[in-house]
Amino acid sequence: MREKGTEGQRDRGIERSGSGAGCELLRSRLQDYVTRELEPESRRLFDAHLVECGECQHELALMTAVVSTLDHQPVLDPQPGFSEKVMRSLPRQRVFVFSPWWSLALAPLLAGAVWLFRTPLERGIAGLLGRYVPVSVTLPALTMQSAGIAAAAVVGLGLLVTAGGAVFCWRAYLRD
Amino acid sequence: METASEDVLVSRSARGDEQAFGVLVERYKGMLYSMSRRLMKDPGRAEDAAQESFIKAWAALPGFKGESKFSSWLYRICYNTCISELRKRKPEVELDEAMGVPVEGPVQEFRNRDIQATIQEEVSKLPDDYRAALTLYHFNGLSYEEIAKLTHKPMGTIKAHIHRARAVLKTRLLERVGWDNLKEVMWQ
Ligand SMILES: [Zn+2]
Repeated sequence: MREKGTEGQRDRGIERSGSGAGCELLRSRLQDYVTRELEPESRRLFDAHLVECGECQHELALMTAVVSTLDHQPVLDPQPGFSEKVMRSLPRQRVFVFSPWWSLALAPLLAGAVWLFRTPLERGIAGLLGRYVPVSVTLPALTMQSAGIAAAAVVGLGLLVTAGGAVFCWRAYLRD
Repeated sequence: METASEDVLVSRSARGDEQAFGVLVERYKGMLYSMSRRLMKDPGRAEDAAQESFIKAWAALPGFKGESKFSSWLYRICYNTCISELRKRKPEVELDEAMGVPVEGPVQEFRNRDIQATIQEEVSKLPDDYRAALTLYHFNGLSYEEIAKLTHKPMGTIKAHIHRARAVLKTRLLERVGWDNLKEVMWQ
């Protein structure tokens, strides 16, 4: 512990009595001291003065009580049912939510689209076969049976594609 | 869903996922209600303000780009809601005027939680601006700079408000509790 009122302290304007210039300086920065916003040099002067000034110790204790009480204010709960009230009063938003169920709904749509454009599709497939398959392949005539098989294949393909899409979407959905 | 990270919940809420937003409401209702309760004082009006803040947040979420923390963004909405409510109510009074009511002498028996109650009561008597700055700093944990930005006031003003408010609280605490009681509670 330092001697009361040493030369070093007087040089810096800090005295030991309860009403000196040191006390004034200290009280003007009291809150910054408590909230640790004081620069290290001032903090050292502050500490040195505190050791020997009862009145400033008293002031410091009071301010510490205030600041620590303010820092530890309890979280208050609203009335029960508050969250439900909030959720009920949300305006419905027209925002597209990209979920797996949407992509599953696309399956029949895709199959329908393929069925609608079956003629150009069949021609395209025949053309591709003609170009890349060396052996000449004759596509069966469009009977009820072959149309049924083609439709089933198309729907199957559509389901496969959308199932893949669903897996992808589901992962994207889970990720973000 | 309850354990999902905040970023996930926020981005899902922004796309209209009510379930995700419900989790955010559950997480932040205490903070928002406490904040509005401290700003507005009246419990009923505080609850209305907190509810309104959540509804505004829900509507504004698609525009939330994450430049600030979600909590800071939510506090800003709540602060603005409370302040506009307060302005409708009454003209602002000065600190000295608000704190000019004489108090009774120190009470006999005192405990730690009574200090909390006394401070809360005295905080509620502060003028709106002082109470708001003090709440945002100590309860919401915002910095002087953040409070200045939020309230559109100079940082010096915010700091002065907080300092003056604390000084008033210190005086009031001493008047109401008395040094002997305080000493006992603080050193126990
Ligand atoms: Zn002193």
